[in-house]
Amino acid sequence: MMNSMNNIMKQVDDVLNVLNKEVISNRQFAIDINKGDVHQALTYLKSIGFTQLSIITCVDLIADNKFQLIYILNNWELGLFVIVRTDIDRDNPSYVTVVNIFPGAKYYEREVHEFFGVTFEGNDSSFKPLLLEIWDDIPPLRKDFDPQVYSDRKFEKRDSDKIYRSKIGGVKL
Amino acid sequence: MVLENQDNRNLWEKIGDYFSANSIWMKWYCTGCGAIELPPTMTSRFDMERLGMGPMATPRQADVMLITGYLSTKTLRRVIYSYEQMQDPKYIVAFGSCTINGGVYYDSYATINQLDKYIPVDLYIAGCMPRPEAVMNAFADLISMIKKGQANGWRHYQENYEWYKKNQLDSLEEVIIHDEFHE
Ligand code: SF4
Repeated sequence: MMNSMNNIMKQVDDVLNVLNKEVISNRQFAIDINKGDVHQALTYLKSIGFTQLSIITCVDLIADNKFQLIYILNNWELGLFVIVRTDIDRDNPSYVTVVNIFPGAKYYEREVHEFFGVTFEGNDSSFKPLLLEIWDDIPPLRKDFDPQVYSDRKFEKRDSDKIYRSKIGGVKL
Repeated sequence: MVLENQDNRNLWEKIGDYFSANSIWMKWYCTGCGAIELPPTMTSRFDMERLGMGPMATPRQADVMLITGYLSTKTLRRVIYSYEQMQDPKYIVAFGSCTINGGVYYDSYATINQLDKYIPVDLYIAGCMPRPEAVMNAFADLISMIKKGQANGWRHYQENYEWYKKNQLDSLEEVIIHDEFHE
């Protein structure tokens, strides 16, 4: 298994412009690439057997003022996963859709748009809400969103004069 | 809000309550993690049929609705829909700390914190999550409350409909459900 993964990693490294690669487990590796190369990379990976897009997700790297988009592809023949990562700007985050490569990306992009506010050019349905029904704040999975403040504003709390807290460190195991 | 408990039922209402307390249909609507305690409660291990309770698939034929844990705003809309479809008299039993004060989801952007602001709760079961013993105990309590005419949440909902609606709209903005796949 390790062998076929090493072969694929080498092959990917030769063909694509890989900035950084990382072995995550013996069935999984990650590559960082420039944001201009993602479509090429996904097309290539699809052509060598990574035919399933398992998920598109996003990480808010607020300290670097970046969003990291993450595409996880699965190869059913070899049982391998590849994680394709790319950084985009955090201000006015926008990227180009991959629905022409993986049609199922339609819903993943909708979800990323809903929870992080990244827009996907070419996927008009990505602007529609998917999971949250009526949302009236900044996208909730951004690091600068404070769920406590939102919850205090929207959902009434029970008044109680008794507050029970567990004693941290007070319990001997 | 405290629900009043005086007994000013007439004889027929007392008789009606006596009979309905002995034949309770429970609506299946599982919302949070507590739903997993219901299979043992319903099946042979604890067997709620001993109390004369049975499961019911639709809200219109059910008497009691269990809110088995946290409610997201999305689920709360569906719960209000189902609750309003149920016929009077109807009862709500709320499970777990999530329905009481938000529980571990106290600061979530998606879940409500206090259920009795939105729908009338007859009985709370504390715990995260309550075990089937506690659930059975609550059912027994509910039955005796119905017999004594103390499970008046549905009447409270009718009398304070505006107050409930206002709270619902404050948190949900809209109770109407839009569903792109069925519209
Ligand atoms: S009270 Fe605990 S078990 Fe029940 S829904 Fe909340 S977190 Fe889950």
